[in-house]
Amino acid sequence: MSLKECYQSIGGNYEDAVGRLYSEKLVRKFVFKFLNDPSYQLLEKSMQEQNYAEAFRASHTIKGICQNLSFNRLQESSSALTEALRAGYSPQVPELVEKVKADYRETVEAIQRLQAEEGMG
Amino acid sequence: MHYKTTRFLTVSLVLVSVLCILVFSFLAVYMNGQSRDTISKVGTIYMSGTSDQLSLNFETTMELCLSQVQALADTVPPGGGETQALRAELSYNARARDFDALAFCSSDGQFEMLYGSPVKITDPEPFLGSLNGGDIKIAIGSNEADEKIVLLGVPAAYEMANGSTSTALVAALPVEYFQKALMLDEKDPLIYFYIIRQNGSFVIRNQHSGHDNYFDYLRDTSRKLGGENTQGDINALSAALSAHVSYSDVMQFGRERWHIHCTGLRYSEWFLVSVLPYGELNEAVDSLSFHWIALALLACFIVLLALLAVFRVYFKMTRQQIRELEAAREEAMHANQAKSEFLSNMSHDIRTPMNAIVGITAIASANIDNPQQLQNCLKKITLSSKHLLGLINDVLDMSKIESGKMTLSMDQVSLREVMDSIVSIVQPQIKAKKQVFDIFIHDILSENVFCDSVHLNQVLLNFLSNAIKFTPEGGSIQVTLYEEESPKGEDYVRTHIFVKDTGIGMAPEFQKKIFDSFTREDSTRVRKTEGTGLGMTITKYIIDAMGGTIQLRSELGKGSEFHVTFDLERAEVPEEEMILPEWEMLVVDDDRMLCESTTASLASIGIKAEWALDGESALTMVEQRHQKRQDYHIILLDWKLPGIDGIQTAKHIREKLSDEIPILLISAYDWSEIEKEAREAGVSGFISKPLFKSTLYYGLKQYAGGDDLRPKESTEQEVDFNGKHILLAEDNELNWEIAEELLSTLGLKLDWAENGQICVDKFQNSDPGHYDAILMDLRMPVMTGYEATTAIRALKRSDAATIPIIAMTADAFSEDVQRCLACGMNAHIAKPIDMRETVRLLKKLMK
Repeated sequence: MSLKECYQSIGGNYEDAVGRLYSEKLVRKFVFKFLNDPSYQLLEKSMQEQNYAEAFRASHTIKGICQNLSFNRLQESSSALTEALRAGYSPQVPELVEKVKADYRETVEAIQRLQAEEGMG
Repeated sequence: MHYKTTRFLTVSLVLVSVLCILVFSFLAVYMNGQSRDTISKVGTIYMSGTSDQLSLNFETTMELCLSQVQALADTVPPGGGETQALRAELSYNARARDFDALAFCSSDGQFEMLYGSPVKITDPEPFLGSLNGGDIKIAIGSNEADEKIVLLGVPAAYEMANGSTSTALVAALPVEYFQKALMLDEKDPLIYFYIIRQNGSFVIRNQHSGHDNYFDYLRDTSRKLGGENTQGDINALSAALSAHVSYSDVMQFGRERWHIHCTGLRYSEWFLVSVLPYGELNEAVDSLSFHWIALALLACFIVLLALLAVFRVYFKMTRQQIRELEAAREEAMHANQAKSEFLSNMSHDIRTPMNAIVGITAIASANIDNPQQLQNCLKKITLSSKHLLGLINDVLDMSKIESGKMTLSMDQVSLREVMDSIVSIVQPQIKAKKQVFDIFIHDILSENVFCDSVHLNQVLLNFLSNAIKFTPEGGSIQVTLYEEESPKGEDYVRTHIFVKDTGIGMAPEFQKKIFDSFTREDSTRVRKTEGTGLGMTITKYIIDAMGGTIQLRSELGKGSEFHVTFDLERAEVPEEEMILPEWEMLVVDDDRMLCESTTASLASIGIKAEWALDGESALTMVEQRHQKRQDYHIILLDWKLPGIDGIQTAKHIREKLSDEIPILLISAYDWSEIEKEAREAGVSGFISKPLFKSTLYYGLKQYAGGDDLRPKESTEQEVDFNGKHILLAEDNELNWEIAEELLSTLGLKLDWAENGQICVDKFQNSDPGHYDAILMDLRMPVMTGYEATTAIRALKRSDAATIPIIAMTADAFSEDVQRCLACGMNAHIAKPIDMRETVRLLKKLMK
């Protein structure tokens, strides 16, 4: 699986990312770093603690990273969650969190697969 | 004139025909006579020759025969030997020489036959006379069988049986012998021969007529065929015979003509008559003369026909010339009349402003101390002078055209410049008459063409000034320009120009002669408006000279529309490559065509544009874009819009958007009027219609920020931020790494602050001027970007107030932006980091 195929599988815009960051090498580096980003854990934690302000910030950060890396699918769901959390808790938050979780897992899995393949190769 | 010409032509034609016929007839008759004479002459020469030859032949034959008889007498001389033996020898020799008979002839004419049938002489006297005189002689006689024989006598004195001495030796030959010798016995000869005696009696003849005498024969023939003056001819012939001279003449027997030739023969009293009947020759001559006459008539006929044809053509041409002459005269008179009328009109027209100038000058002189009055007067004088100048210019133009001195100077022309200059010229007039003016441009294939720009301007200005003049206040005037492929080929482009107004229009009768010289619609409502009436004529002439066409659609009271079409050559201009950044733009105009064409033009210079037909929908679109945080980079707004106008729309948009986004007004009106109001409403600039591609390019280029026209090259090569220090506040490590990676490629040195507090601390602990700018994330734990900015601005150090602080945010809502600015930030950039935008801002904000 190439980086481009990975982007396709997670609903990202590979061309956009490469266009903005200038080289595939950089994109790859940052994509792998995405796995270590703590924002998602922060989101889960603050949701459990019902700290919605913190959850908003975490969601916002995820959105920012996704914009930087052109992970469009995750960006959309995190963006929706950010807006829902902007004014504190709102009824559609749990549903949106689930969507973000699903998209995040999918994204992370794809990147891990790519990493595993490249590690082997 | 016409009648005279016709009569002259007819009479001369008849005369020439008659002359022709006469000449040819004379020629035919004369040549006929000539040929007849020639034939006679030829006949005479031929006849005399033939006769001479024949008589010579006769003589030779006779001499031959006579010499044989002489030889007899010489071989056997008289008295040589015994009588019996002498006779036997003579007979023997004579037989050997083929003589029919041989005899001694006594002086009294008695014949003593030696052998053969006894002979009898027909006319003894001349024969005996000659022989007795010792001459040789020939005579005609007959034998016992009554056959005609020729007797040849040679004087010789032989002893005869009765004891007397003979006077001659006579030998006899058959007449046929001579006939053969003289070729007198031919069947159907061309020439007849006779031998006659002096009295006309025949000696030898070759045809059996019942006559013994030639003269009787001639008389009889004459009686039969109806001869003329035959007796006279016979007498002449007889006289010639008596005088022993040759005779040659033509005798006429009715239609027949005989040529008769008569010569004497030697050794006899005889004459040779040769007769040539002209019958067959006549036939040949007649046929010749018939051909002659026929040919002459034919020639005459052909010449006459040719003459007739020439006359006919000449006649036609003359008539045509006369007609043309009359038409030309009429036209000249008409033109002259029109010119006189024009002159009187013109004089009147010129007198009006001239009177005004004179009168107002007088008023001005009287009010020399009143500056306000004076100024007013001068204004009026200027107006009248201008009007006068216009009239005179028109007349001069017209005289130039009429004398064929107008020439076109084709040059490379930018249609954009032409349209711009025209719009700026007519703007004041349109404003003065409060008319609605709009200009549409679409499908421009080639902005630069070869054309005579001065004359093109003149044409367009004439249409427009007419439209303005004849359209009442509040009416509308519209100019449309578009291009299409020309049928003349790829190098040409067909350019259509429409000038349409809602003015007073024209009556159909006037539409027909609007392009004629020296005409003006003669009605009271037009009387009020001045002009020479030459404008349209000049316009038409110029358009014709440029190879264009003009069409007019007009209805009285509704308005007029002029449509001009030119096939102009494309100018090969090395066009500047018109490429602008990949902006997204919004075009707002109530004309759909303009929106579409402008969108297409923008697309060709690399801009993605959307359009709206009114202010309300434009606002909605701007809002939607803003929600999505994908604001339009530039907005083009028409000034005149249905509902809320352009300036109001701009005001509403500006309330929602930051000042960074340029809002440009597009209009065909003068910008200076509304500039103040527009600027207050937040309009950033103005682009004048018509919107050519180049108009758009040059109008928008300034917003591309100069060097940023080619973004990638500029960020990598031209921008040099070497050694500049930036403090970047960003809580997320990944985002920080990305930002650092990107910005360090520009040569920037970045320091990371994980949150607002750290940022404030780092700034505080640095030397003043160490950091050249701060990039601030808004959402951070511990201290937000807003708080950090406020704190930094509040610090007591030299660069606290001046250091550029740029917000970085993923949600660029206008309230966020407002808040950024409110707490002291200089600008904000959206996430993800757009290098172009970042570079632009950094360049702008950092010294």
